[in-house]
Amino acid sequence: MSYTLRGRIESRLAASLPVVVAACILALAEHRWWPVEAAGLMLGVGLALDLQAYHRLLRYQPGWAALPLGVLELGVVLALMRAAGIAAPLGQAVALFAAGWIVAQLLGHAGFPLLRLGYAEDGGELGRLGAAAAVAVGVALAGAGATAYALRPPVVHLAAGIHQGPLVITHREVLVGEPGAVVRGGIVVRASGVTVKNVGVVGGENGITVEHVRGTVLDGVSVSGPKLDGIHVRLAGVVIKNCTIDMLGNRLGQGIDISYTMDMGQTLVEGCTVTGGMEGITTHSSMTDIVRNSVSRTTMRGISVTEMSMGMVMDNEVRDGAGIGIWCNDRSMCTIEHNTVLDTRPGDAGPGVGVLASFQSEASLWENKLGANPVSASAITQSEVHRGRSFSYR
Amino acid sequence: MRVAIVGSGLAGFTAYQSLRRALEPDEIAVFGTDDDPAATFRRRAAAIRQREMRSESDGHCLPTSFPGLAFRSAVTRRSPAPLVGTLFDRFHPTVGEFLAHVEGLRGRSGWDRSFRNARIDRVRGVGGGFELDGEGVFRHVLVATGHPGLNVPEQLRSDARAVHSYEPHEYGPSVTVVGAGLAAATEWLNALAAGSVVVSVRRREPARRPLNVPREYFSRRGLSGFHRLGPAERAARLRTLLAPSYPPGRAWDEPLATATMEGRFRVQERVNGTRQVICATGFRRGFRHDPLLTRLVEEHDLETADGWIVLDDDASVPGLTDAKRTLALAGVAAHWAFPAADTLAGARYVAHGFLRKVAACRTR
Repeated sequence: MSYTLRGRIESRLAASLPVVVAACILALAEHRWWPVEAAGLMLGVGLALDLQAYHRLLRYQPGWAALPLGVLELGVVLALMRAAGIAAPLGQAVALFAAGWIVAQLLGHAGFPLLRLGYAEDGGELGRLGAAAAVAVGVALAGAGATAYALRPPVVHLAAGIHQGPLVITHREVLVGEPGAVVRGGIVVRASGVTVKNVGVVGGENGITVEHVRGTVLDGVSVSGPKLDGIHVRLAGVVIKNCTIDMLGNRLGQGIDISYTMDMGQTLVEGCTVTGGMEGITTHSSMTDIVRNSVSRTTMRGISVTEMSMGMVMDNEVRDGAGIGIWCNDRSMCTIEHNTVLDTRPGDAGPGVGVLASFQSEASLWENKLGANPVSASAITQSEVHRGRSFSYR
Repeated sequence: MRVAIVGSGLAGFTAYQSLRRALEPDEIAVFGTDDDPAATFRRRAAAIRQREMRSESDGHCLPTSFPGLAFRSAVTRRSPAPLVGTLFDRFHPTVGEFLAHVEGLRGRSGWDRSFRNARIDRVRGVGGGFELDGEGVFRHVLVATGHPGLNVPEQLRSDARAVHSYEPHEYGPSVTVVGAGLAAATEWLNALAAGSVVVSVRRREPARRPLNVPREYFSRRGLSGFHRLGPAERAARLRTLLAPSYPPGRAWDEPLATATMEGRFRVQERVNGTRQVICATGFRRGFRHDPLLTRLVEEHDLETADGWIVLDDDASVPGLTDAKRTLALAGVAAHWAFPAADTLAGARYVAHGFLRKVAACRTR
């Protein structure tokens, strides 16, 4: 087909309408905005390529070209989603794109020619149908955007200084700490959709407790001196980023403990620094990615993935701990890549093992630096350590 | 009855299919001398032993481009191969598939109810429409009289050895083929396959392209620039676009290369002493060769340019078309509006424009 520029744009807008509508419905049903963001991005990328590349380069576009162009657009969309921080599950995002592509092909080859007599000879222009489709797409995206804007959680600013806790959050909100804002006695999250940013926590039973809620984001928080765990997550969905946990002097507590979150989807711990404690970061029955963290001076295990957990342990640095550096235990499946585990010394949990798989667990190791550990890597009690890449986001 | 088609060939038949979206068979009159819309095409295709259409999936007579012949062929053959082929522009329906499509459509569309066996020699603009040679006055008329005869070069017209490629013929031991278009290329291969020694006589090297004209000229992408050209430039562009061509590909090149190596195929500038000369020189060009169009131009003082009748972009005749009546040309006479007007896609383009005019007329 030889598209005119207007034909390309009208066909693109009209073909994207079903996907945009589906994305809006999905977003409203699941209270997650990534489908709308992804659909908007797909449309934006497509229109930009139509304007800047396709129209100039393709005077005639054979049918087969839709496939490589679709792959190109998918790559650009995924890269932009990653760059923009749109937290979409990869598989679902690709599925949404693929569905949109298939719908566009069906409409372009069959639907539009049947709807509009001169579709081919008009270069893909749809006349009033094209204008109506453009308006409908605009309305759908604007409506979704307006809804998202209206549903934004309120932002609560926590002034600099000491605030006596425990601070219990019972409504969806964004709690932003001013520089120097500290809560003494811990924070308890009891509502879904809560974000806590840049808040310091001192003391408390746990530093921050998140239980039975979804969509919690802890970004830039610091915790020191809790009685039990630094961040304590039970049956909840969380993203923990850029945190600092000081557990020195606490021999039994855990820096970050994420347990029983399998039903809450993927959780993430990224860019945190954990010092001291019995375990630095531990997951039980969870799907958690543990990425780019620094864990040191733990008394039993640096990072542990246990009780039928699944997850990626990537780009972490674990050093100066006792017992075990990274532990994959109790029928868990662990992908352990590009980590550095140094100077693990013998302790109560083990003889100083860099990476240990135990009790019917499977650990895949790839390009880890395991140095100055009495035992580099080991598997016991019907467990396996594979040295080779299994799956990676890289 | 207010709508008439003058000409019962494929261009008229394609227009009829589009008109049927808005009109019943009783509201359309088709004038022609053969009720089989594919009769002329069938005869010519048989003469040059054509097996495949040059056109692709959308080379059909339906008003919409989908479902095309690839889709129908896939259903008939129970194979996805035609659909895959059309994705790569490699699907060409067989002549048999195309003729079956026309036959089926003829039966379903009511064509025979609309057909009137009458030859129209004169179309005359009158108040409220056009008078068709004593057959009545019609508000909207599409003239689709087809090619105005076979073209035989002047120096060969009285040569007993010469036969036009679109006339029945066999192949002698040595054959000269005059021309450089698709018919000529088909004749080269036919004669070689029959064991002949072939001499190709041509004035210029043929262009190699899949379709009659570059693909962008089948859509507004190429047409909008074409329609903006002034008369002289447009005539020059048409001469360039309509120069002889045939498709690229090994199916054409390999037999010719093999025959050249064997000394059975060569190119010459003029006809020599071979015993058979096949004129694959297409059709006469210009409205002057069509008595109906010549009379139309002279009686209504229509604007012309270099042998073409000047038309509006939708192939309607300016000066004879307004809000209440329409006169449009289809087929080869519509080149001025659509460079590939003598193809099935071109016939569909004209048909869509004509249908728009008819539908927009409140008193149709």
